[in-house]
Amino acid sequence: MAGGGDNKDSKGESQVPKINGRATADTLKIGCIAMVQKDGQHRRAEILSIRDIKSGRQFYCNFDNFNKRLDEWVPVNRIDFSQDVEWPSPEKPKEAKKSSAPVAKKTIGQKKGQKRPAVTREVSVASEASTPRPWGDFDDSQKGTPDPEGEEKLTTPLDLDNTPGAEDDDPMDLDEVAARAVSAKAEPPEAFSRQEEIEKLRVGGSMTQNQAEISRIRNITKVQFGKYDLFPWYFSPYPEAFTQEDLMYICEFCLCYWGDVKSFQRHRQKCTLQHPPGNELYRDDYVSFFEIDGRRQRTWCRNLCLLSKMFLDHKTLYYDVDPFLFYVMTSRDEKGYHLVGYFSKEKESVDGYNVACILTLPQYQRRGYGRLLIQFSYELSKIENKLGSPEKPLSDLGLLSYRQYWTERLIEILLECNEKDEKISIEMLAQRLAMTTADVESTLQAKHMQVWHKTDHKIVIPMKLIKEHEARVEKAKTKPKREIDPDLIQWKPPVFTASTRTWGW
Amino acid sequence: MRSQAAAGRATRVKKLAKNTAQQVLREDQLDSAEYSSLQTQSNIETGVEKSEEKEYHLQAALKGGSGGSKDAEEIPAPPAEETPGLDYDALYPLVFHKPATYIRFSQTVEETTGCQYNMTSEDDTFLKAYNHKKSAGTRCSEDDFEKIMEVFEDTAADQVPYASLDGTVISFDGMKMSIKQQIHEKAHPFAKDIYEHWRICRQNAGNHPLQPSLKVEKNIEKDDGDPYVCFRRRDARQTRKTRARDTQSVEKLKRLRKELDEGRQLIDMAFQRELTKRELLKCDKSVFEQRAKVKETKVKLGIKTDDEDLINQRPQKRKMTDFGQLQRPPGSQLRLPGRSDGRPLDADLIMLSDLMAQKENTLQIEIEEKAQQHRKWNMGHVDLTREPLSPVHGQGFEAGFRPATAQYQYLMTPPSSVTSESFDQPSPSLEKPEPCALGYNSPSEEEEPRGQPAYRRRIGRGGRLWIDRRGMSSAAKLAEATVSDRWKYDQDDDDEQPVYEMDPYDTKALRFRATIPYPPHLFSQRPRPEQAGPLARVAGNSPAHNRAITAAGQQPQQAPP
Repeated sequence: MAGGGDNKDSKGESQVPKINGRATADTLKIGCIAMVQKDGQHRRAEILSIRDIKSGRQFYCNFDNFNKRLDEWVPVNRIDFSQDVEWPSPEKPKEAKKSSAPVAKKTIGQKKGQKRPAVTREVSVASEASTPRPWGDFDDSQKGTPDPEGEEKLTTPLDLDNTPGAEDDDPMDLDEVAARAVSAKAEPPEAFSRQEEIEKLRVGGSMTQNQAEISRIRNITKVQFGKYDLFPWYFSPYPEAFTQEDLMYICEFCLCYWGDVKSFQRHRQKCTLQHPPGNELYRDDYVSFFEIDGRRQRTWCRNLCLLSKMFLDHKTLYYDVDPFLFYVMTSRDEKGYHLVGYFSKEKESVDGYNVACILTLPQYQRRGYGRLLIQFSYELSKIENKLGSPEKPLSDLGLLSYRQYWTERLIEILLECNEKDEKISIEMLAQRLAMTTADVESTLQAKHMQVWHKTDHKIVIPMKLIKEHEARVEKAKTKPKREIDPDLIQWKPPVFTASTRTWGW
Repeated sequence: MRSQAAAGRATRVKKLAKNTAQQVLREDQLDSAEYSSLQTQSNIETGVEKSEEKEYHLQAALKGGSGGSKDAEEIPAPPAEETPGLDYDALYPLVFHKPATYIRFSQTVEETTGCQYNMTSEDDTFLKAYNHKKSAGTRCSEDDFEKIMEVFEDTAADQVPYASLDGTVISFDGMKMSIKQQIHEKAHPFAKDIYEHWRICRQNAGNHPLQPSLKVEKNIEKDDGDPYVCFRRRDARQTRKTRARDTQSVEKLKRLRKELDEGRQLIDMAFQRELTKRELLKCDKSVFEQRAKVKETKVKLGIKTDDEDLINQRPQKRKMTDFGQLQRPPGSQLRLPGRSDGRPLDADLIMLSDLMAQKENTLQIEIEEKAQQHRKWNMGHVDLTREPLSPVHGQGFEAGFRPATAQYQYLMTPPSSVTSESFDQPSPSLEKPEPCALGYNSPSEEEEPRGQPAYRRRIGRGGRLWIDRRGMSSAAKLAEATVSDRWKYDQDDDDEQPVYEMDPYDTKALRFRATIPYPPHLFSQRPRPEQAGPLARVAGNSPAHNRAITAAGQQPQQAPP
């Protein structure tokens, strides 16, 4: 990648002086910030976990200003010990307890609850100085991989970057690990408390949640799904036993999960599902959409959420799936309808969201499926006669996909208006696209289209966007773009009675 | 921001309303310098979490959006790859046939995945070793094995849900019942051996269920921060508290209480009844015993009377039936005309109604015939006189006659209360033209009087006003009057007349009609009190009276032709 990502923009925000100093592979601790090689460059990285495997010690690093999906286990030789390391805060209470790194705890991680340090975890890294930490008391739930014994395994390199993968178990007692990962910097307590946040989840029905709540360490290494191997990006609360498996198996149709290959094979002989277990709403020659009720298909929807959690950082599985409908996009072949992506939607959204979570599975990404999902969500909103917007926060990929979709759609209408020399208001644009006016405004601004010229507000379409539009039109002549055909949607907005809207069981 | 840019132009930036129609321009419609000078740097809400907003790749992609290469726009992510060496067809053997219509499906995962226990590699090793010792015909299949294991797991989960905490293990004897119920006969012999395997597996797993499962909420306090605990129950949403809802629930509670109390009272009363019955039984018994003694004494003393004091007499019961019989006749008589459906009250009444129906039928046929005849007779008739009095269109031979009874019978105020003055001097409002003033009197068939009293007013020669009456027949004829009331809705020519389906004896219609205010033309139609008087009186009373009075000598007065 281009510009060196060193500490150029991450320094200097911290109010508390940091303790810097040299470290060695042995003294490097969790919570330290060190310079670690990534993509040929040295970047600041926070050590989130440490493990010893046959090939040596490895550190789980979160790179400054890189998305968490790029976190990885790094061997010693990628860490630059010639530079100073920022040490975690000294006033850390449990510091003394654990000086020697790997103390293997044999119990398989059920003692999490007992050991909850009362320490409020604060941001330890300069790079995170601006990170909102909504949780008043952060719990040390980090232990990603509880592990029997630092037993050694062959490391298979992740294809993406040639670092040893995370297949090996972490011999550390992660309870303690997490407890120690306390910050160097005393940040003023956040305005909102954990209780408030959970309350918000409870009444708001939100599917997203602050990331600090969940473990920051990826816990599943590799997933066999359909014809593909998936490499998870984020933590997902599959049964803890699976974290010890090199490979987890997921049935492509019922989305059930196994650690044991025999069990998976046995299941496959019995499983008769060949499409998502709901009603088909849409079918063209390319994709089909299904509507699944979280209340009716609790198991399936839970499985879907667990699966998608591996690729959605801000998704929460804190509460159950009952208040959601899942719109599942599939592609069809002679084996059945294969899950491509989905979006979930609250049965009743107080905030007018028309999407809660949206995901295209990695093996189908970058092929225009995300656009179809987004388009479908707006087609449903049109049928409902509502203006919709995706639930926030968006992920980076989500933002890009939505921006792209919004821009394309707006440009189409705006060029039409320009040709006919018609005026148009933000509200009209919103109505035509079933978008909220806020989304229309932000897109216009982000694309530098909203200007004050002479004495009026005007919308100016930049040449670059016009050219992009023309390129798309040109391309569509040879290879027609996949679009949702609203006429093929067989759907009535579902109506829920008072009793079915009571999400409690 | 934007205002700064505009400041140079010295125009104040108006607030942009969402419904303001804006002009749409292309960049090349402005000169380029101008467009870039309009550019402002404002903070745009991205919707991405603040901490991630400045992530390197995202920023690169957002900036790259302004003209970079394709690569720059992509955010790196660990990609998926096809599983090397995967036998997909073996894993997914089922072939799918796409239905012609959209799929509708509501089975759950549990319903479509068969046995919920899936044997592990460990089980596989065990089963292979187990089967190895057996001859071909007596081996345990994988399906049977799984079924048996499922029963063990289910029974354990059912009977000792806290097994992992207290270490309880259900003995094989405890499993026998479930095995017997859920496993087919042939697999029973395996159960005992598989049980041993199951017990060992459970032990190794710390007496947890063997299949890996999600962590569910157990201790709310402790689990709250556990990232592995997921899919917590959501508290039931609170319904909004309003006064209406409050009173609603109060009403509901009251009703519930009342209903429960009624139930309680019912039971209480049944209890009392049973107590009374017991008392009665006791009394009966003592009566019997006393009588036995009386008999004995009588025999002993040789008293010879009738044995009435030895049997129970129930005179009160006979009285009851008498009372019932006495009560019925007036009731049935009253109801008699209303029983159009012929539902019998008694045997007598069946015959009466039958008779009436018969009579009515013949009558109807006769009328039909005559009407037909009349029309034939009139066919092709052209009246060449000046300003001929032609028959009122749509009226049969009964033209001009309005039925008296139906309208008089159920008036709220009896006609007798109307003073004679009102007949003699009709109020101006009643002076409007009569709807049926000029009728065409059919020449020949002024046949026998109709059962129903009717009258008409017509203007004769010299402007004389005539009131014609008919239908004042004998008692027997009047009995039919109620039946012939039906003709009111009958029109002989049925070409364009709407058909009103109604039960003429339905009291609903009668009751409704009773509420209709006195129609004004009725007053004007009977200006002669000496004629209208008795008629009205007759009509104002019940059919029974009607009959009595007409029998007392009211003869129909035929109008002069």
